[in-house]
Amino acid sequence: MPIRILAFAGSPRRHGNSETLLDWVLASMNEDQNVEIEKIPLTEADINPCRGCNACETLNKCVQRDGMDIYHDKIIEADCIVLSSPIYCMGLAAQVKALVDRAQVFRSRKYVLKLPVVPPERKGKRLGLFLSTAGQTWDYVFNAAIPSVKCFYHVIDIKDADIRYLMINGVDEKGAIDYHPSAQADAIKLGKNTLAELKKRLDL
Amino acid sequence: MEIKVLGISGSPHRHGNTETLLDSFLEGAKSAGAVVEKVVLKDLSYTPCRGCNACHKTGDCVIQDDAITLFNKILEVNAVAVASPIYSMGITAELKGLIDRGQYLWARKFVLKTLFFPNDHIIRHKGIFISTAGLSWDNVFDAAFPAITAFFNGIGFEYYDNIIANNMDVYGGINKHPTALKEAFDKGEKVVRVLEKLTADIPEEKKKS
Repeated sequence: MPIRILAFAGSPRRHGNSETLLDWVLASMNEDQNVEIEKIPLTEADINPCRGCNACETLNKCVQRDGMDIYHDKIIEADCIVLSSPIYCMGLAAQVKALVDRAQVFRSRKYVLKLPVVPPERKGKRLGLFLSTAGQTWDYVFNAAIPSVKCFYHVIDIKDADIRYLMINGVDEKGAIDYHPSAQADAIKLGKNTLAELKKRLDL
Repeated sequence: MEIKVLGISGSPHRHGNTETLLDSFLEGAKSAGAVVEKVVLKDLSYTPCRGCNACHKTGDCVIQDDAITLFNKILEVNAVAVASPIYSMGITAELKGLIDRGQYLWARKFVLKTLFFPNDHIIRHKGIFISTAGLSWDNVFDAAFPAITAFFNGIGFEYYDNIIANNMDVYGGINKHPTALKEAFDKGEKVVRVLEKLTADIPEEKKKS
């Protein structure tokens, strides 16, 4: 069974800084034969915002029929879920926030209906990666995005200790990340370390 | 001078806790003599920012939809109350979608330098953030504030006040909250009084410009 990596490229700008960072991480993982990677650009994912109807608290599923139907299952099946987002106006891009909010169905399952999100034998084995880039150089520029990212991972049964972060500030124009002194090396290292950790957890 | 107050409801859930709190604020403003209007984001048609940065060159957004119409309206009023429930520790995707679309104003200010809000403009334009959250945590609104700050900065409004109420899940809704609705009404009334005084202070020649 391959190690399954599910990656959401959250930027509306294709092949910009946050997606490049993601591509570096994925490429370093892809060097391993036993890895299956799927990258989903959120601009093409057809994920509507949450309607706040709370129907998932009783139905255990979302009333909306859109791209999330597919990604719901993929999120459960993956061993590692990677989320990348640029920082817009001090937060996640709206497209990414829509995905995070639609994870409400997992929150209802976990905390309201008290049902398992992943099968018991896979619990505690999954990892989450959050990759982000910001144009501003402020060191606190990512702070307001992180609580929403944590919510996303918590409800899909990935706890704080199992989330890894790589966040690069001061990259604004398209391609700026190519000139960053450490971003690429850090991304490759993160990909390799994540894969090693997953193998250990999955006894591979 | 007539004070105009615009309420923006960012909740996908009509007439829920957050919109009810916004309504109370707008009623307060109306009772003080302001002209009030409410816009419900879920009824508008706009797409999220595409991150194309075309506005950095032109100062205009390449997508001309309801978001731009709304920004034009925002720039005409004296106070904006922007309301969103807390979803996953942040504002809703609808409101974040609107805020991200304000990038063209940021580009006018900081890239093209064709837009400048002097301080005496900013203090006469008040922004109020209205929010509710189900959770009881004191920090539940913290990650929402920076995006709201960015929004008010972009439109040249002073981030004047918050009207926030957490622990909705325990109270059983805003109508059962002991103080929030009254606080919102009072703050709506008060901001109009403050703005009346501030705009009355403008010398006649400045008013014309």
